[in-house]
Amino acid sequence: MGYTITEKILARAAGLPSVRAGDEIMAKPDFVLAYDFPGYTDVYFRQMKEEFGIDKVAEPERYAIFIDHMVPAATPKEEELHIGTRKWCAENGVPLYERKGIGHQVAAEVGYATPGAFVVHFDGHISQLGTFGTLAIGMRRNVLEAFVREKVSIRVPQTVRVNLHGELQPGVMARDVFHHMVRVLGPASCRFQVLELGGPGIDTLTTEGIQSITCLAMFTGAITAIVNPDEKRLAYALPRARKQLDPVFSDADAEYAAVHDIDLSGLEPIVVIPPTPANTRNLSDYVGLEVQAGYLGSCASGRLEDIEIAARILAGRQVATGFMLHVIPTSQEIMAEAARRGYVSTIVEAGGFVSSPSCDYCFGRIATMTDNQRAVSTGTLNVKGRMGSPDSEIYLCNAAAVAASAIEGRIADPRKYL
Amino acid sequence: MPLENLRGRVAFIFEEDDFDVDQIVGVKNIKIQDVEELAALAMRSYDPDFAKVVKPGDVIVGGHNFGYGHPHYPPMRALRHLGIAGVIAESFSPGYWRGEISMGFPQCSCPGIRALVSRWDEVEVDWDAGVVRNLTRGRELPFEPLAKADRLMLEAGGLVPYLKQYPAN
Repeated sequence: MGYTITEKILARAAGLPSVRAGDEIMAKPDFVLAYDFPGYTDVYFRQMKEEFGIDKVAEPERYAIFIDHMVPAATPKEEELHIGTRKWCAENGVPLYERKGIGHQVAAEVGYATPGAFVVHFDGHISQLGTFGTLAIGMRRNVLEAFVREKVSIRVPQTVRVNLHGELQPGVMARDVFHHMVRVLGPASCRFQVLELGGPGIDTLTTEGIQSITCLAMFTGAITAIVNPDEKRLAYALPRARKQLDPVFSDADAEYAAVHDIDLSGLEPIVVIPPTPANTRNLSDYVGLEVQAGYLGSCASGRLEDIEIAARILAGRQVATGFMLHVIPTSQEIMAEAARRGYVSTIVEAGGFVSSPSCDYCFGRIATMTDNQRAVSTGTLNVKGRMGSPDSEIYLCNAAAVAASAIEGRIADPRKYL
Repeated sequence: MPLENLRGRVAFIFEEDDFDVDQIVGVKNIKIQDVEELAALAMRSYDPDFAKVVKPGDVIVGGHNFGYGHPHYPPMRALRHLGIAGVIAESFSPGYWRGEISMGFPQCSCPGIRALVSRWDEVEVDWDAGVVRNLTRGRELPFEPLAKADRLMLEAGGLVPYLKQYPAN
């Protein structure tokens, strides 16, 4: 019986010849990542010193911190948090990425998505590094373990394999694939397991599209998602990689908890209605519903292909009067390229508001809605209050649908604009 | 220190699967830090008298994938303040599970629990025997064993004491 890519990565990280799903092991993360956030990093930094007597982390190159929330700071208190973060990183010799974009995306850009590596973070959306064959797990507060010890305790997870087939129709995007998976497999289908994507259909998706899917894995209950990297993704990741590791791949006879097949060619654009990420519907059933705000961005969808399709739809058109369209590229690298290609000017001329990369629109710090307003969004989540008032509503959809809805001020099918 | 069995009444049953725990205090209150204030708001939309009738040691019962979404810590801080000693659910969402185990708050994954108990039944989670007992009705069900690290963390009283107790790898 062969091994999954997850079992292979964890065996190496644990220094064992092999591990199997269910084994309880101690594994050394290749990288420990975090973004600064009140109650998380500031607490870890204090606890390390006061509770564990650690003045300086060993192997600082294994750690990286991102400043991507509260950017720019809106209050002196927020800036104070950032100052504390800069100070800790400087004292510890830990790399700090500030204002480069949303950390989960930047992590891939600067080489923490090393194929074959084991990465931990407190935030579960780090799962998107799985696009490159990296096993990246969000441990919530338990990531403190990785700050005060060399290894973390982990039960080797089982894997659910999803094979994709066929090709997406125009106007249907990788996000729709993920939401469709939640619909057919269920919001608990991969509970405590790894979601492994494969099949011939995966090669028809862009690397960015796969990042959208792996980013959202937690809403199937998965602790992360992973893909056996192909040439294209290795060509992105290997030259940037911060560590020399051999990429690993699932064996053909690896054991899976379940195997599912999904046909991409039959999918339609999807909308996820409030108040939970489990409420998947066809977008066509909600066309015409009035919306006042649109958000295109987040660690799930604000990449070049998302901005490109929005620009294509908005070119020569205008955002509806009174509609607030916020377009926030996921990273500076993406924003600069979108500007070079003219997407930014197209969106601005259409009446969109474009702002520098930040997590703030997605987690609700920049709250844009009041009672009874409604948004279309490519953010990660549609729970009540995520974009302002708990009495506002968020409909999650793909970037093309956000752009089309911005033109009409109503939920719109992007396919008629393509 | 051995893990003490949970023994108390079922103070509430959340029938809903994929339950978002933020609803316990309401999303608009999620940023409140003061635990008294949070506790006063907890469960208001489910049972306005909850704070008055709950007793220390009581547990709550949940459905499948309890804690789905982006769970925050304040709702369970509020319930602990009211005396809730743990949660028994059909199954848990991993993010929520990790977060609360790291707080030293016992969680017990017990498929079939909703059919085993009614509100206010007296129950016992026997960690060593691996069963949840309904003491009122004299029935029991096995629960899913805890991972070793989770058990040690609960015994230690949470993440920080656990890491102090087991400093080496």
